[in-house]
Amino acid sequence: MLSGLAPTTLALALVAGVLLDLLLGEVRRWHPLVGFGRLASDLERRLNAGRSRIARGLLAWALAVLPLCALAWLACAYAGAAVHALLLYLGIGLRSLRDHTLPIHAALVRGDLDAARGLTSRIVSRDTHHAGESDLAKAGAESLLENGNDAVFGTLFWFLVGGGTGVVLFRLANTLDAMWGYRNARFNLFGRVAARVDDVLNYVPARLTALSYVLLAERGRLLAWRCWRAQAPAWTSPNAGPVMASGAGALGVQLGGAAVYDGVTEQRPPLGTGPDACADDILRAWRLVWRTTLLWVVVAGVALFAVDGVLHA
Amino acid sequence: MLEHGGNLRAAQQRYGGTDWIDLSTGINPHGYPAPAPTPDAWHRLPERDPALVKAACDYYGAPHLLPVAGTQAAIQALPRLRAELAGPARVTVSAPSYAEHAHHWGRHGHVMREVAYDALDDAVAGSDVVVVINPNNPTGATVAPERLLDWAERLAARGGWLVVDEAFGDTARALSVSGHAGRPGLIVLRSVGKFFGLAGLRLGFVGANAPLLTALDDLLGPWAVSGPAQEIAIAALRDHGWQQATQTRLAHAGARMHALLADHGIDAHGTPLFHWWAEPRPGAFHEHMARRAIWVRLFPDAARGIRVGLPGNESAWRRIEQALREWNET
Repeated sequence: MLSGLAPTTLALALVAGVLLDLLLGEVRRWHPLVGFGRLASDLERRLNAGRSRIARGLLAWALAVLPLCALAWLACAYAGAAVHALLLYLGIGLRSLRDHTLPIHAALVRGDLDAARGLTSRIVSRDTHHAGESDLAKAGAESLLENGNDAVFGTLFWFLVGGGTGVVLFRLANTLDAMWGYRNARFNLFGRVAARVDDVLNYVPARLTALSYVLLAERGRLLAWRCWRAQAPAWTSPNAGPVMASGAGALGVQLGGAAVYDGVTEQRPPLGTGPDACADDILRAWRLVWRTTLLWVVVAGVALFAVDGVLHA
Repeated sequence: MLEHGGNLRAAQQRYGGTDWIDLSTGINPHGYPAPAPTPDAWHRLPERDPALVKAACDYYGAPHLLPVAGTQAAIQALPRLRAELAGPARVTVSAPSYAEHAHHWGRHGHVMREVAYDALDDAVAGSDVVVVINPNNPTGATVAPERLLDWAERLAARGGWLVVDEAFGDTARALSVSGHAGRPGLIVLRSVGKFFGLAGLRLGFVGANAPLLTALDDLLGPWAVSGPAQEIAIAALRDHGWQQATQTRLAHAGARMHALLADHGIDAHGTPLFHWWAEPRPGAFHEHMARRAIWVRLFPDAARGIRVGLPGNESAWRRIEQALREWNET
């Protein structure tokens, strides 16, 4: 194991990290990713100019990510399992995902469309001013499915591969992709490295997430699998495609399609099939993410203890 | 709903006048003289008459056919049927083509893309369902039947479908694949509205293998085709004399329209029932004709240009010629 921990210790740290997240939720003050965001913005302002933008983007990426990874590695090496668990807690966003989406469901159920719009606008970039129940439910469910991968399963995967250091690498790379990975004039070249690295780091976790969504599908595994196969290639992001298509298929609901960005209605490819989204689909998407988390923790725990048994047999 | 030709009421409301020439569809202006239906046709529930299927199978040379309330019913039902049977599919629809196919295949979770008519061959490999109109409406482009059968076979090998809409196939029988409509994965749509000029009857046929037709029948439900429609269609499909005379008549009228357009510098393509050309100023042409109470079909975007059907009488031919002459003078 790259984490340097014994398999059973890694399993215990995994459970501890997830439990800490569920108990404590997001760090309210001094959130490390907020500080990292400032650092990244600062680097971008200094380096995103002049020639060789791709190389400058690579340099900025390395300066932002590698020293912190090295620091995490040193901390893990000296302080052991507790630091691994702490870094997992800081990197995983399961509770935060729940806390940001279930209130949208609650607001929709009590018919408070304005509150639901406000809550939804915090988690998605699309316009919610004129959004109806179905649009908001769709945004909430899509966000849960996609961020289930970015904030939870990708993090768990890289924790299992590289312990606390793996978590730091994945979360920082993922954050830089969210900040720089755009195809516009400012970021097309500079953000190229950030986008590609995230694509690579997310390739395996995204497919494991999609596979989990298929296995745990409420409305038929075959449908979820067929949605993945037919719809994922049409989605613009190579990793979000499988995750969102299989997730929407697992829920048996129609996601994707029209969404309003900056006042312009954009026709995105379809995700899933079935009736239009309703408030309860947010709850169902959350349950899918939650059950996927349990599946991963149990499977990883059992596997790690089994490996330990083999090593000490 | 999408806009189509044949909307003469809209034209009359906008431009006034009553003596309109409707060239906005590709419907035979000399439709089959429908016999008066028997009282039973009106009063009894329309059981499916085996004589209708027999007459249609004989006329189209197809092994299995399902009568439907116009091919539009099948165009709407097939995407839903596909979703129910096999989940979302990667669908390729020929373009520019009759827009209803793309409109409905864009639903039910299918990933639909439109591919230029001559690039379809390359698109077959990456598709679960391919929809092609042959001959194409409105451009008149065609695909050889051997090629269609090859596509159908490649698609069927992985559970895919080839949907061939032969709405204008009656005057191009050599292109038809209706005779092969029992093969797995091949679905052929035939229309009684155009060649027979019975658009108001709302009757069409779907040719495909028996299990697929059963599933489609199930989805569309009982009494899909009215009793009068069944009786009139049986008469029309059996009337070989009328059919032969109509083939000749349409061939002449089509050649006459082609020549008339060519005389006025328009290089049109199509079938005997309609001609289409890539008019550089389609909006202006449409307006020019409308001001003379001639209603043509304007394609402002995809298939940018004009489509004209056939007029019904000599005075209409003369008015069209006059209008074309005036168009060239502007």
